[in-house]
Amino acid sequence: MSVSELLGGSAACCGAALFFWLAAFIIGMCRPKYSGPAITIPMIAGSVCLLLVALVGGYETIFIRVPWFLGDAGFFFTVDPLSRWFLAIIGIVGIPVAIFSPGYLHHLRHRVSLGYVWAALALLMISMAGVVLSANALVFLVTWEVMAISSFVLVISDHEQREIRRAAFIYLGATRTGTAFLMAGFLWAHYLTGSWLFTDWALSGTAALGPAILIFIGLATKAGCWPFHLWLPIAHPAAPAPVSALMSGVMIKTAIYAMVRIFIVGNHINAPAIGPILLILGAISAFWGVIFALLQHDLKRLLAYHSVENIGIILMGLGVSLIATSYNAPVIAQLGLAAALFHTLNHAIFKSLLFLGTGAIDARTHLRNVEQLGGLIRRMPWTAAAFIVGSASICALPPLNGFASEWLLYQGFFGLAMNGPSVGSRLAALFLMGWLALIGALAIACFVKAVGIVFLGVPRSEKAENAHEAGPGMVSAQVILAVLCAVLGIAATTVMIPLSQITAQIGNDVSLTGVWTLPMPLLAIILVLTVGAIAAWMNQLSKAHPSRTFITWECGFGDLGPRTQYTAASFAQPISRIFGAIYGYATQITVGGKNRRLFPQTVDAETTHEAYLETKVYAPFLRNIQRAAGVFLMRLQAGSVHQYLFYMALVLGLLIWVGVH
Amino acid sequence: MNTLILFIFHAVNLLVIPLLLVGLIRKFKALMQNRTGAPILQPFYDLAKLLRKSQTVSKTASWVFTLAPLVSLAIALISAILVPWSSALLNPECAPWTNFLLVLYLLALGKFLTLLAAIDTGSAFGGLGASREATISMLVEPTLIMGLGALALGARSTNLLTIYADPINPFIAVLVGLALIITALAELSRMPVDDPTTHLELTMVHEAMILEYSGRSLAIIEYAVALRTCIFLGLAVQTLLHIWPEYYALSIFPRYLIGLSALSILGIAVAVAEGVLVKLKWRSVPNFLAYAAILSLLAALVAAAQV
Repeated sequence: MSVSELLGGSAACCGAALFFWLAAFIIGMCRPKYSGPAITIPMIAGSVCLLLVALVGGYETIFIRVPWFLGDAGFFFTVDPLSRWFLAIIGIVGIPVAIFSPGYLHHLRHRVSLGYVWAALALLMISMAGVVLSANALVFLVTWEVMAISSFVLVISDHEQREIRRAAFIYLGATRTGTAFLMAGFLWAHYLTGSWLFTDWALSGTAALGPAILIFIGLATKAGCWPFHLWLPIAHPAAPAPVSALMSGVMIKTAIYAMVRIFIVGNHINAPAIGPILLILGAISAFWGVIFALLQHDLKRLLAYHSVENIGIILMGLGVSLIATSYNAPVIAQLGLAAALFHTLNHAIFKSLLFLGTGAIDARTHLRNVEQLGGLIRRMPWTAAAFIVGSASICALPPLNGFASEWLLYQGFFGLAMNGPSVGSRLAALFLMGWLALIGALAIACFVKAVGIVFLGVPRSEKAENAHEAGPGMVSAQVILAVLCAVLGIAATTVMIPLSQITAQIGNDVSLTGVWTLPMPLLAIILVLTVGAIAAWMNQLSKAHPSRTFITWECGFGDLGPRTQYTAASFAQPISRIFGAIYGYATQITVGGKNRRLFPQTVDAETTHEAYLETKVYAPFLRNIQRAAGVFLMRLQAGSVHQYLFYMALVLGLLIWVGVH
Repeated sequence: MNTLILFIFHAVNLLVIPLLLVGLIRKFKALMQNRTGAPILQPFYDLAKLLRKSQTVSKTASWVFTLAPLVSLAIALISAILVPWSSALLNPECAPWTNFLLVLYLLALGKFLTLLAAIDTGSAFGGLGASREATISMLVEPTLIMGLGALALGARSTNLLTIYADPINPFIAVLVGLALIITALAELSRMPVDDPTTHLELTMVHEAMILEYSGRSLAIIEYAVALRTCIFLGLAVQTLLHIWPEYYALSIFPRYLIGLSALSILGIAVAVAEGVLVKLKWRSVPNFLAYAAILSLLAALVAAAQV
């Protein structure tokens, strides 16, 4: 008898999770000003239930039939290894977010009705779990829309600021557009197969291409893949930090889930063009995200661009998987899929950790602009340590979890290089290895900038000077996630066991545990022991010659102030200049003063850049649509009651006519 | 017996050769400049002196500043054991460790902390050095991984022991070897990318980063740099030696001696280059490193065509 049977099975656990979250939803709706244990405990309990389903639920596939119907499709859910993987992601991020939120939301209490925020959070959790459990396209669309709307409510929660309202509407527009594509694709697939169940959607060849592309565009918009990423860097800074953590860590991953479900595992839509599309758009996304992240001074916007980068890395993994399948190399296909899924989990953990860290800084200093921060490592030691671990992890540094998944992706590329049918394809695979290395090095530069300017050095403003450590809830949430980063990286062999249950669906007889050959636990131990030995030696030496504490070397000009430190803009300048052509990077330096050539009194330097995709493509496009719609809508909606009565009569007549036939 | 030999071999490799190589480069550089120069053993004396001195730490510095040298030395030691820079003389049981991606990313972990430590003191020099070092490593990493990837494709394994155990296609070996030398010059902050002996902070990269270190911390940084010098130059040497088809067929001892002599020749070449070349303008560094990128792209092309 397994543990899950003891608990009443996976279905009962899912039901319990739904119950807890609904309870949190109702409490939140009834008491708009409340934000306390009565609401956090059910939120945590719901996530724990999901984790139970994922971790001890076994590997078999379970169908859950709820006796409701949506038109001709039943309200059906499935629990299989793939959905368990994503349930685990929702649960793992859901718990720290619920622990973190009360402390964070406290500083918003005068502007925001906290109960409603909690209610929307509960609804977001329910809908995300619903998306990864739904067995057919209609249930998927319903939960997908609930997810979009609840996250929209969360983004706009601090709605008194104009900028936030604008961000929320851009998000709403993007997610509506995505859903429109998704619906069109689903309808097309239903038309071709006659079924709403995902398991019946076995399409291949040219017939599959149309629905596949539509579905891909719909999902890519949600995931934030280039060129559909424009909402991400706008919506994430607007949302409260725990919401950004959930949206960036988990919500955009539901799109990855759907891509895996629809394009890769089981009976699926098999369009050969999708693999290269995923690989190319993923490669562009990853690069695009990181070079734009380097330019950002708003910490949350920087992290949002890194989500674009990491979604790109995940999509590259999926692309490797699909392409390897077309090469008839099942091992490589499994490697690619494993890299993508593992990176999805890892990104959920380190990105939510980083967003929560940003939230802790925001709650204590009310600042997100890195140029005004500094020296926080002394004032917020725990937040700083957790943030450094998260940064090292997102930069794929061993022995943390980011390295494990990127290593799998490297192996996937290398496998493509060995199995590619033509010189071009093999060269492309080797090139992509270099490309991934470039992205990794850029990520290191970006996070050295973020950590170095925010946490190290001397505070650059009074608010940063007066900061103090966040509350115990906020700190413990971050520490949990930081520990997870290390554990998942070191115990990667264990992670391969549930992963191989998923990847076995695309090519059996191969065990992923054999592919993972790196001795991470031993390496971590040896690394720690070596560092410890050197530290002990240094300590021994310091007994004879103790260290002296003195000011930083200032060339004899007197003590250095905060303004003499390096800034984020100057740190990023050399790299930004190299890639300057991509975003019109420019630096303006103005020197002022009476005799400014010899005795300058003021020197101002300012860097500017322009996101061409937004300003040259999307903005004119949207402007034209708005103009056209304005002209059309003006005629349609002229404010005349007679005209409206006419429309109503027309629709009534139409309905009667449809009913008769 | 075998264990004892292995122990002596690693002890010599880790403790003697790196510092000797640095001393050799300095000596020949001095000769190039018509100076007598310090004795070849000077790095050992320097290290002993620094370890006996007390250190000064900035009052702004945090634990990152203290931790960074320790981690970078630990990583340099581990990598120096794992990378077959003198010749492949590791037990086959070490095979899972010698994956080149693991080693490069371990080195990147050391670099990440070193970059942070440079910013930690709040000095503008540290920030400048870190910013430039990050830029250089952004230009170097893709070349390294693509070049070693091309070698790996020939050996059909990403394991360094496997890659260097068999003969390598001479075309690929030459291309990757040259690319590795160029990237090593940048990675080790040597001319023409960076001048290790300059006294003008604004032109420095690596020296600006470690400006705040003194005493024993500086000693372990210098030692870690010496180890990294051996790793990168040695890897280039080993790659180039594989052009000679009989090299891999030799028994271990002559192979080791040939490897070391070739390494000292490359060290002397670096010293000569430092005597002849001028430091590049910072803005021209990407153009210089582009040569390495092109070489390893060509190597990748040859490797892809060959499979």
